[in-house]
Amino acid sequence: MTVTTAPEAALGVLPRADGSAKYSHAGYTVTASVNGPIEAQRRDEHPYEAHVDVIVRPAAGVGGTRERHLESILQSSLTQIVLVKNFPRSLVQIVLQVEDAPENDYVNTKLVQASLNFAIMPALFQTSVLALLSAGVPMRATATATAVAIVSRDGTKTSVVDPSPRDVEIARSVHVLAFTSHDELLLAESEGDFTVQEWNHVYETAKDVCCRPVPTKEGMEMILDDEHTNGPDLRHFLRSTMENKVASDLHWK
Amino acid sequence: MATATSSTGAPPPSLTFARPVFAKLSPHPYLLRTLSPDSPDQQPTRNNGRSPQQSRPIQINTSSLSQAHGSSLVRTGDTTVICGVRGELLPVTSIPQFRPHNGTLYDQDEDDEQRARKELRDYDLLVPNIELATGCAPQFLPGVPPTTLAQTLSTRVYSLLHGAGVVDGRGLRIWYTPENKKEEGDMDVKEEQEEEQKPEVVAYWVLYIDLLFVSFDGNPFDAAWAAVLAALRDTKLPVARWDPDREMVVCRKGGDKGLDIRGLPVACSAAVFLEKEHAEVGKGEGNRHWVLLDPDRSEEGLCKEVITVVVDCSEEETRVRSIEKQGGTVLGRELIRGFIGVAEGRWREVKEATGI
Repeated sequence: MTVTTAPEAALGVLPRADGSAKYSHAGYTVTASVNGPIEAQRRDEHPYEAHVDVIVRPAAGVGGTRERHLESILQSSLTQIVLVKNFPRSLVQIVLQVEDAPENDYVNTKLVQASLNFAIMPALFQTSVLALLSAGVPMRATATATAVAIVSRDGTKTSVVDPSPRDVEIARSVHVLAFTSHDELLLAESEGDFTVQEWNHVYETAKDVCCRPVPTKEGMEMILDDEHTNGPDLRHFLRSTMENKVASDLHWK
Repeated sequence: MATATSSTGAPPPSLTFARPVFAKLSPHPYLLRTLSPDSPDQQPTRNNGRSPQQSRPIQINTSSLSQAHGSSLVRTGDTTVICGVRGELLPVTSIPQFRPHNGTLYDQDEDDEQRARKELRDYDLLVPNIELATGCAPQFLPGVPPTTLAQTLSTRVYSLLHGAGVVDGRGLRIWYTPENKKEEGDMDVKEEQEEEQKPEVVAYWVLYIDLLFVSFDGNPFDAAWAAVLAALRDTKLPVARWDPDREMVVCRKGGDKGLDIRGLPVACSAAVFLEKEHAEVGKGEGNRHWVLLDPDRSEEGLCKEVITVVVDCSEEETRVRSIEKQGGTVLGRELIRGFIGVAEGRWREVKEATGI
């Protein structure tokens, strides 16, 4: 039911933007462009810091209240990791275009949906961080995000990393957590019905996906231990994507 | 603050400001000074006289609007929000992609509850809308499209209404059981027909939940959510039945029935105030912080990190219905768990104000 694929990303896909990235994971494909620092509109201008502007465009139709909410969540989180104090009175603009979203065969697809879509948030978050890196915007840290759903199957509750739309629908609770590269909790959004213990467990799971320590290259213990197979290693993915991009950019040397 | 004003006081009187002027001119240092008093025996207070962990008392009035099916007026400090719930009939013939209901009137099992929840979502039976009235706070200008704040609040209320499963969707169905035609003499035919005469859903109630901020002084979500919940508890829908001759739903006067509202989820918000407003963004070390419960408008303007927790302590174990934390890295796991405890205290306050 769940398409468990490794995340994929490409950097610099749009030639005219300062930075861009295309990211696909768990059925979602998002393209982001970043322009900045550029001149801010008068009403957005802040005398001490840069304004981070996030625009989310859905796969079909125009954005509604849900997209405004997603934008405000992303905006407040990304403002924290971009060094906004370095660029007073300017603007960093991030445009996110959702290209593909997994379909749920169990429900009638509605074009306009008002409720918050938890499953798409990690993809949007990851794409914006990659695009910011691609644009060379100074940041104090990178960040990774993941979604976890608690699904009760056959009477037992299991946590599902990167849930499919069907999982989200039947889930007891859905959570999105984002961590900075300093292992700090940057964003936590949860809905449903859960206890503090369950949230604690979700926190552990999400932290393992987002902040897995870099495997030590000494000895044989690096990738062989199979106990860590609960979801992808996003921090390592971010790092290796950037390394590949830098390597290919410097290939001519 | 008294020391600061008196030290600059006597010789040049033109440089002495009254406290409100100083608070307006440089709000961040002013709040910082009141939160970090010089002597240790003084309690840290905020500009509004509250301690950091003190929330404003909440007042809830219901049934103040005569034209709505249910209404409430909620006031916390200077934040006042009015909520009206109105039910409208939605015949199933007007629903595109309607999937006929294969349950029966008497189903009370888990499956039916799940189905009802899905119906609420699929057919949009709950329609919340939030309006931040012109003049409720200086930042809301007349004649502009709904602000991001209003749209965000609407989405949050909508998500929580569905996520917390507050309204039992079974109470919004309107059933019709076709009557047996008595003329048929043959027993077999009659029995066959009886099998066919299953009750069916002919229409739904759609609840339009409209919120209007009369006065806005910070922490809009807590007030809005309390108003939604109080209004839904107050809502009484008329008895509706299907008239097969006229082929429409008719309502009867009198005998209004209340909605089935499950649980009492209560929202509790706080903002994180940092010592250094324009400090170099570092790892946050050496930057003291205060978690200000129930922030007012001036405090919200000074804080970036906010948290909203929705808890329900109706059962013996506290159930968390939503956590929304964004805009900073101060609140980690331990602080959030501690804050859930604070929210439990708020839950008891709101429960008392609700009067149940």
